[in-house]
Amino acid sequence: MRGSIIWYTQRYSALLLLCYVIYISNFIFFKDNITYFTWSNFFLSFQARLFTSLIFLTLVLHAFIGLWTVGTDYLIDRTLGFLSFALSRHANLIRNIYFFIFTLFGIVYLTFILYIIWT
Amino acid sequence: MFENKLEVSLYRYNPEEDKFPYMKKYSIDKPSKDIMVLDLLNLLKEDDQSISYRRSCREGVCGSDGMNINGKNGLACITPLSSVLKKNKIELRPLPGLPVIRDLVVDMSEFYAQYEKIKPFLQNETTAPEQERLQSPEDRDKLDGLYECILCACCSTSCPSFWWNPDKFVGPAALLQAYRFLADSRDLKTSQRLEDLSDPFSVYRCHGIMNCVNVCPKGLNPNKAIGEIKSMLHKNKKDIIASDIN
Repeated sequence: MRGSIIWYTQRYSALLLLCYVIYISNFIFFKDNITYFTWSNFFLSFQARLFTSLIFLTLVLHAFIGLWTVGTDYLIDRTLGFLSFALSRHANLIRNIYFFIFTLFGIVYLTFILYIIWT
Repeated sequence: MFENKLEVSLYRYNPEEDKFPYMKKYSIDKPSKDIMVLDLLNLLKEDDQSISYRRSCREGVCGSDGMNINGKNGLACITPLSSVLKKNKIELRPLPGLPVIRDLVVDMSEFYAQYEKIKPFLQNETTAPEQERLQSPEDRDKLDGLYECILCACCSTSCPSFWWNPDKFVGPAALLQAYRFLADSRDLKTSQRLEDLSDPFSVYRCHGIMNCVNVCPKGLNPNKAIGEIKSMLHKNKKDIIASDIN
């Protein structure tokens, strides 16, 4: 994986997330009377569903890069060694468990979101 | 009563005698004139010969006496005592992030390994001219602010990304030198140099917190050089290869 791909993914995903915030804010602040029906109608449109699905995929991707960076900075033998020598010896295992947990969480989160949006 | 005394807190560690490092306090008479931190260390060493630190040129050229002075990295030989004293107290520690050999002396192998990785020499396989490879004054100007680095490691050891990944992240000092050769019109290995830096760690672990700029005793700007390298990496690869050929 090239560093520039990760760099661009993180920045463009942040821009997309900003667009979504503007999109939702526009609905919230410029719609006169927001009720359950206007809100659900808004999310029934294909456009809103597609955009929301894309955004949550982007959000998971953005979070993945951030958490991967944190893991490769702070869950390594050098940094865990500050806490305990025993922990530093198992740094790779600890980091892989951490990666597994947040990857699994991201997949489950995205599956639930897509299920809620499209059913 | 204490105004004429200086309290020096010094990091001490001798692996042959000490199980753990510790801070030792020294109290000495305040010098009548402003001296450099290195002079202060020399005064301390007169009383305690066991204190270890590196120094050579004592004028900010060799980069040997980089250390952490009251929480900020700097060269002891060009740091006036008056500029760092806080309530007549000063704390001296080794450069952070590198293994300590003894007292203020650190093992700089990881730092030099990164410097070696960027191939800090001109690469040009064309036939050398009779006298020298010429540069236009404009091309020469591009090297200003880059070639002056003395490799004191103050910048790299103030960078958290270098603390955590000194084996993968090249670090500000070596990246400044990497850009020094990328910017050199006489070097023809631009695309190869960029390829070597294109992984997620070598350059991209720099998050631009600018600690390196804050501490550089020569007033250089590694962060700007890193930004330039990133711009080059984002450029169309074909453009870079074309510039190599030209």
